[in-house]
Amino acid sequence: MIGFFVKRLLQAVFVVLVVTLFVSYAVRLSGDPAIMLAQGAGSVTEEDLRNIRIGLGLDRPFPVQYFEFVKGMLVGDFGRSFLGGTPVSRLLADALPATLSLAACSLLLSLLISIPLGIQAAVHQGGPIDQAIRIGSLVGLSFPNFWLAIMLVLLLSITFPILPPSGWDGPVSLIMPTLTMAIIFSATNIRLVRTSMLETLSAQYIMVARAKGLKDRVVLYKHALRNCAIPLITYIGLQFGKMIGGLVVVEKVFNWPGMGTLAFDAISARDYPVLQASVTVLALLVVTANLLVDVAYGLVDPRIRNR
Amino acid sequence: MRTFKKTLLAASLAIASLCSPLAMTSANAAGTITVALHQDPGNWDPIATFLVAWGAVGGQVFDGLIMRTPEMKLVPGLATKWEFMDKNTKIRFTLRPGVKFHNGEPFDAEAVKFTFDRLLGEEGKKGPQQSNYAAIDKVVVVNPMTVDMLLKSPDPVLLTKLAGYGAMIVPPRYIKEKGSEFFGMNPVGTGPFRFTEYKPKVSLSFARNPDYWGGAPKVDNVVYRFIAEPATQAAELQAGRVDVANQVPLAMLETLRKDPKLAVVSMGGPVALALRYNTQRGIMKDREVRRALIMAVDRDAIIKTILLGQAKPIASFQGELSFGYDPSLKPLPFNPAQAKAMLAKAGVKPGTQVQLDFRGPDSNFREVSQAVAAYLQGVGINVSLKPYETNVLLNDIIPNGKTGEMWQNQWGGWTFDYDNTAYSMYYTKQRWNPFDDDTKLNALLHTQRNSWDQPEREKTLKEIGRYVADQALEMPLYSLNTVYGVNKRARNLALPADGRFRFVEATVE
Repeated sequence: MIGFFVKRLLQAVFVVLVVTLFVSYAVRLSGDPAIMLAQGAGSVTEEDLRNIRIGLGLDRPFPVQYFEFVKGMLVGDFGRSFLGGTPVSRLLADALPATLSLAACSLLLSLLISIPLGIQAAVHQGGPIDQAIRIGSLVGLSFPNFWLAIMLVLLLSITFPILPPSGWDGPVSLIMPTLTMAIIFSATNIRLVRTSMLETLSAQYIMVARAKGLKDRVVLYKHALRNCAIPLITYIGLQFGKMIGGLVVVEKVFNWPGMGTLAFDAISARDYPVLQASVTVLALLVVTANLLVDVAYGLVDPRIRNR
Repeated sequence: MRTFKKTLLAASLAIASLCSPLAMTSANAAGTITVALHQDPGNWDPIATFLVAWGAVGGQVFDGLIMRTPEMKLVPGLATKWEFMDKNTKIRFTLRPGVKFHNGEPFDAEAVKFTFDRLLGEEGKKGPQQSNYAAIDKVVVVNPMTVDMLLKSPDPVLLTKLAGYGAMIVPPRYIKEKGSEFFGMNPVGTGPFRFTEYKPKVSLSFARNPDYWGGAPKVDNVVYRFIAEPATQAAELQAGRVDVANQVPLAMLETLRKDPKLAVVSMGGPVALALRYNTQRGIMKDREVRRALIMAVDRDAIIKTILLGQAKPIASFQGELSFGYDPSLKPLPFNPAQAKAMLAKAGVKPGTQVQLDFRGPDSNFREVSQAVAAYLQGVGINVSLKPYETNVLLNDIIPNGKTGEMWQNQWGGWTFDYDNTAYSMYYTKQRWNPFDDDTKLNALLHTQRNSWDQPEREKTLKEIGRYVADQALEMPLYSLNTVYGVNKRARNLALPADGRFRFVEATVE
């Protein structure tokens, strides 16, 4: 198990480095932070832009800039934002909890919705409940996430002023963004749970459990669910990367002060330090999520654990 | 499995509530005005500022020697009077007595000298503000209430520039004690509001300064919330959680107007838009062709339908509030028949291809470009529209002369002076002008830059405008209105055309 961990860890580090190198290089191929920053200043000369670039450290060759970035990262110094010199670590410290809580709540809500509904669909296969759940999931799949977000705001903030339309002012602000993300993920998860359950339910040991006289609830949740947990966990791990992408859009609409907004604004403004740091953290998150998935396998499936 | 799920749920809810740091910012708190601002400049130091968004905040916490009213008049600020001396190489400022910075430091001649030494010295070098004040040689203290500003060269826009951004007065003792970095996150000035709290990318809060020299403000607090998405700004306005929004989407103006508690305030603004011609490319080399293309497009219809009337027609690349604007200079009329004739006479074959480059993310201008393309098709020109990412267009495509036959040119400075625009746009080898080289135009531009004679300057600027229009170096489209969404409970906001708020007289119900 330890050897397995070390190997995966090294792989993770390698992946993160490659991603940051690629992104750092790609973002410098076009656009100029100096001119983005000088927009309000009136008549800007080439001399001014040169001075700004020197002040930002952009006159140094790319390998030097990248090396400084990695070196700083190892000691936790991510540099300063081009927009005003705020330390990037401060921006990350503010943004990361915001994104993590949103991601965690969305994932949780999605599981809470999809597992029971998936199971019910499987148990009542072919019946009206199954049809209704499958149609519902198809509709949920078809919503573009930004449309759903805006519709929720329209309904729950403007037509019926119940919830705050944007920002993170307390747990109440979590409701709409979480709902948006959860609805879209549940759509696919429901089908996954349903399919897995159908396979599992037709297995012999389920027949035996039922024959033993065990209650339906015990059969389903204790025995059957454990077996379809593996594909579900795999899928969630894969989905994590996609979720980060969806988060960017949802965060933008709800003005959620998280990593998505941070990275998006950094791209538009060509704020290299913030962009590089955000991408690194997001890559780390995805890689960690995949690592956790592997650990979860071990927990759920005794066969892997005892190998 | 159930207990596992329960624990997970409890844990994440605990994490979520632990991590939510903000108190509810309610616009309904007595005496607070909340403003939605589209960008967080990240640093409140006047000389480190790069961005327009800074101006929206700067006027609340800082003052300049001179101030500018929303009606574009220059009035005394921290200086009660100023006079030109020694053949206009020196300006003597008499300072306002009895003024204090928010930290209790006195405002005096030393503070002014410190501010300009800093602006013109090593610190100021890191930003573009310094070059705007390059005409100033140095500031000399005459006595605690008088300073002399010595000038290296004439700068007719200098007095306006003293009213904002880099020239706003900063506290010497505070900066020397705490350092520039701390000052940038915790600004102190002489203005109507004192800084209280800054949460990067989230919000910025101010409380009233009861000792303000211009009279204590009538509201208790001003809070800025950084909301980049225009639709979200509009939603917050409708939910009653912000009182002023500076970037409402055009498409939502009607909805906002219908809301009984909201109002839409619109006025002529500094931003002008034109399609600049690449005069080195293809059919654009011919002046008659360039003029014909202008006449082929119904610019008034575009303003009415696409921009919902929130813009004004222009004949030169500036709005009507600009110094140098000539109301007698009329745009070329919309006359597609004549345009066709001119094109035929110039030997342009029907079906000729031209390319129009524009900023992809700008959805309003995308529609405008499509309309222009349709009109040009009506006179036999086929337009291919090419969107670019803003950064790429501004930095790689335009300065290197790689544009198509025409490109989206968008410009507007807070000084509202045509000098700033004209020089950058038409002088040889400027970033925005890699193709034209006109000695006569260069000479004109040079004359007005270095003269204090404002009436003379105005004449020259008008001549420049007329010359450019005559040469048809561009297709002037419109000047955008500055539009604000406002909650009616906030009064006397003195909303300015340049977005630089100052809520001294403002009240809320």
